[in-house]
Amino acid sequence: MIGNAESTGLVAVRPLAEGQSFGPRTIGVDRSRIVRYAGASTDFNPIHWSDRHAVAAGMDGVIAHGMWTMGAALGAVVGWIGDPGAIRSQRARFTRPVLVPDTDEGTTIEVSGVVISADEDSATIKLDVIHNGQSVLGRVEVVVDNQAPREGETA
Amino acid sequence: MSQTPQQTPGLSPEHVGRRYPATEPYIVSAAKIAEFATALADDSAAYRGPDPVAPPTFAMVIAAQAWSRLFDDPDLALRLDHTIHADQSFEWVRPLRAGDAVTATLEITSVRNRRGTDIIGLEVSLDTPDGEHLATATSTLWHTGEDAA
Repeated sequence: MIGNAESTGLVAVRPLAEGQSFGPRTIGVDRSRIVRYAGASTDFNPIHWSDRHAVAAGMDGVIAHGMWTMGAALGAVVGWIGDPGAIRSQRARFTRPVLVPDTDEGTTIEVSGVVISADEDSATIKLDVIHNGQSVLGRVEVVVDNQAPREGETA
Repeated sequence: MSQTPQQTPGLSPEHVGRRYPATEPYIVSAAKIAEFATALADDSAAYRGPDPVAPPTFAMVIAAQAWSRLFDDPDLALRLDHTIHADQSFEWVRPLRAGDAVTATLEITSVRNRRGTDIIGLEVSLDTPDGEHLATATSTLWHTGEDAA
């Protein structure tokens, strides 16, 4: 019964084993959040806050920063394994924009992950990042430290 | 070194290996870490309190400072509004912590052209001024020239 307990559980205990999974975890994003991200990241490209500029750039409207989506997706992994210090690498391809409507409720991404390989040193987690039923990040892989956290280490 | 004087500016494979001077040290602050984590809707305790670490993708905030070196390079004639960030990867040695001073050093690692679009590979190394390597941020950018649109 690989994955079932982890799918509903909030936190996985390392070492991870191949086939363990989590999610989908839903993360909300509205205009306020991406304006915050623009300020926090200092990426002030106007396609992330102005419909006028976004449309001129060929979008249907304001879109989230690709790095917001990548960072939020990684946040789901950190939430699962409990320790940002265990993240060794991440890669992602920006395949589709996340359109963020100017509404109170905004929109969401859903993040799920599955361990595709693991040994006693590291584990590789493949992520699916879905918005409106479509994948928005391609080839998302996160490599984490796979040793059991040492006594006294923050989890 | 020895560019022919009549050459027009523009990216070409001869720019592979071009490396820019490191950026001025960026001082990571607890306030900025908390702001960044909040923007990611991430309430992890590791990002808050008196001695926080930064969310891993915070590395991009500092790496992006080195990108401006690239867009300011008159030889390349790149335009930010013609640029698409196609993919991104990171390798982290350890989390960035409040108080870290971090420099970013950018190198152009590949240049290809496909039907009028330049495909540019970049590598940004994040290090402390003392030479401790902290992270590497690797990116692919697509740059569309005026004539290709």
